[in-house]
Amino acid sequence: MTEDKFTPYEEFAAREWPSDLGLWKNLLLGFIANMRLNMAAGAAETPMGEYMLDMFARIAKARLEGKPIIMHPFNYGPELFYAMDLEPLMQEVFSVGLAPFHLNEPYIDLANQMGYGDNPTLCNAQRPLIATHMNGDAPKVDLLFYLSAPCNSLATTYQVYQHMTGIPTFTMDIPYWSHDPASPYFEEKTLGYMKAQYKDLIPWLEKQTNRTFNPDRFQETMARVNRCRENIMEFNDLLKTVPCPVNSMESFSNYLAMVLAGGTEEAVQLTKWFRDYAAENVRNKKAGVPGEKLRIAWPYTHTFFDRDLFPWIEEKFKAVVIMDILGFYNIPPHDTSTLEKCFDSLALGTLDFSMIHTCRGPAEFYIDYLLRYVEDYRIDCVIIPMQFACKHAYAITKIAAEAVRREADIPVLIFGCDPYDSREVPSEEIRGKIEEFITEIVL
Amino acid sequence: MTISETFSEAVSLPNRWINASKNQGKKVLGYFCSYIPEEIMTAGGFQPLRMRAWGCTDTPMGDAYMSSTTCSFTRCVLELASEEKYDFLDGLIAYNSCDQIRRLYDNIRFKAPFPYQYFISVPCTQTAVTLDWFNHELVKFKEDLEKHFLVSIEEKNLKEAIRLQNETRSLFERLYDLRKKEAPPVSGSEVLKIFLASVSMPVQEFNPLLKKQLEDLEKSEGLSGFRARIMLIGSHLDEPEFIDIIEEQGGLVVTDSLCFGNRFFRNQVDENTEPLSALAERYLNKISCPRMSGGQADRTRFIMDQIKEFKVDGVVIERMKFCPIWWGEAYIIRDELKKEGIPCLELEREYVLSGAGAIKTRVQAFMETLEGR
Repeated sequence: MTEDKFTPYEEFAAREWPSDLGLWKNLLLGFIANMRLNMAAGAAETPMGEYMLDMFARIAKARLEGKPIIMHPFNYGPELFYAMDLEPLMQEVFSVGLAPFHLNEPYIDLANQMGYGDNPTLCNAQRPLIATHMNGDAPKVDLLFYLSAPCNSLATTYQVYQHMTGIPTFTMDIPYWSHDPASPYFEEKTLGYMKAQYKDLIPWLEKQTNRTFNPDRFQETMARVNRCRENIMEFNDLLKTVPCPVNSMESFSNYLAMVLAGGTEEAVQLTKWFRDYAAENVRNKKAGVPGEKLRIAWPYTHTFFDRDLFPWIEEKFKAVVIMDILGFYNIPPHDTSTLEKCFDSLALGTLDFSMIHTCRGPAEFYIDYLLRYVEDYRIDCVIIPMQFACKHAYAITKIAAEAVRREADIPVLIFGCDPYDSREVPSEEIRGKIEEFITEIVL
Repeated sequence: MTISETFSEAVSLPNRWINASKNQGKKVLGYFCSYIPEEIMTAGGFQPLRMRAWGCTDTPMGDAYMSSTTCSFTRCVLELASEEKYDFLDGLIAYNSCDQIRRLYDNIRFKAPFPYQYFISVPCTQTAVTLDWFNHELVKFKEDLEKHFLVSIEEKNLKEAIRLQNETRSLFERLYDLRKKEAPPVSGSEVLKIFLASVSMPVQEFNPLLKKQLEDLEKSEGLSGFRARIMLIGSHLDEPEFIDIIEEQGGLVVTDSLCFGNRFFRNQVDENTEPLSALAERYLNKISCPRMSGGQADRTRFIMDQIKEFKVDGVVIERMKFCPIWWGEAYIIRDELKKEGIPCLELEREYVLSGAGAIKTRVQAFMETLEGR
């Protein structure tokens, strides 16, 4: 990407940008500044950067054109919304995007002052939303959609936001049981339950937006989702190669593609690019982390406030983090030859989406994922940077770690932190724990 | 022994009713929260017992396995389970009440298993689709009990259990009607003991006791000398001593939105339809707990109606530390109460009463505010 690529976005931001998307504009400008820094440092470029710029601009354009914007959480693919010509906005872009600049911390403080939760109780992936609303900085969206999973914290904050704004809202209940007949937790009604809820959602969307559900367009969308899934499954397989063909960040890009662009041609191209990139590196025996010595499983989210943590791990220990829990997008392609099968695919994709798949049911969903991750990717150690407020995950981390030690006989580090707030456990402390673990126990 | 003393006796676990049930060869099943129909267990000849962590003082196991930032109720239950303090229970029934309860259930399965364990997937929304799912879950639960314990849960037994539990709910309605009086004959702390007894002893023995208690209360003069009528709102509260602190400062608790309170007994089960469908309908669509998404407006309406009906002067919200659901709910309730000009005090607490002095000071100040209005 060249410097002149930024100009149209900056001009758009300066001239026509909708007034109620000020914080969104700041995210765009921050993102551009970050890309410039990366360019100056000679960092490798991926097409994700340009896609993100387009996404920021597209939502502003949708606002100017009166196209309905629907806000949804970080664990949901927006394919149905694209199929219905709506503009999806993934809410957690704010908390994740602001974290590296420490710019969500004032909103966290404001949420504290307002009496809306504290760091160990409510997740800061969502909590700043309430404060941005109170501050007049939240985007004015037309519709709100959220799920009952993976956690109470998410559902609670979305419910509070709905209360504060009165935005028409649809909540989808995520069942506890598995849709996989091979699972001991299989419940045959699970898939039908999800499909039935989708068949409630569609007329609701039609009514709210004066749009008509077009089955052909939906089938085309799901066919594109399938192509993405093919690419990602191949990519995931390529990451099993030693040395790993990509660095610690790239699997997260596939997640971004599916959570921001799932169902679009852009997502197909993005996932294809990453698949091809990994394949070429495998062919050339090129490592994502040159001189790879350690392979780390990171079965939780990134510590978003510290964007230099993974490069530091790579450089200091010649270690590669294979993928985080969001990067673990592991959904195979489905038969989408009929409309009904497309609904099956949509429902399955929702149940298996990053973090929903691993966290919505019994502890075994998470433990099995972790054990398979460790085995398939030939992992040397596990690091779990557990968020204090993440009750559903933190409360099974110890039994999961015991399973890893028992089944795979490799060390596990668990430590508490807040991925969105550098003040809870600062970078230096996190790095100290990781360094001590790797040098004293792993090596 | 007075009836009130009898109810107090039921608070401890195990109690003489549980011991008697065990001696009669009855199986005792522990269960969590208010979305699991006791009726199914009663119909199968089981003694249901609402899970509490009575007597827990410290939680090293709970802290280690669930983290010290999960709610203290769940940590306490894990602690007692690991110490085999629930060895009088023949089984445990849980559901996805909240993240912490579902993970407590996982930890119990892994670290301190019960002889029988069952989990029900209860939806978090109230629609025709989710009702159908919940109905199916109850059918599976009934069948699993039958299969595991080699019992047959007949429709007539389910209907009788529903009739009994409806009677309990009606008796509680009568009790709450008495609390509407200018001089309510019963304190909030005593009412909590009655609720705790109702979930800790056979319904067949509880109902006659409460009936008799109501007859006595209906004749009594009522309490006087209190400073304000209080509505208490919150989650799992099974410590009468917490309410004692409020009432000792002159705040008489006259109504509530609590798990051991209105959310327990409001809404009857339809006795004229197929029993499991009727149970699903009642339990999913009753006054909701904040675990349910989309039911907030109804919950607020219910609170406002209670405030009017019971002539409430002020509201106390008790919120368990580290509970995300109740923090969100409390935020909305505070907002709604403010709009209506209703005074409100929010108290964060641990499961095992601690910091009584600080709570007392805050309640005292709140009472003065109420009197100054």
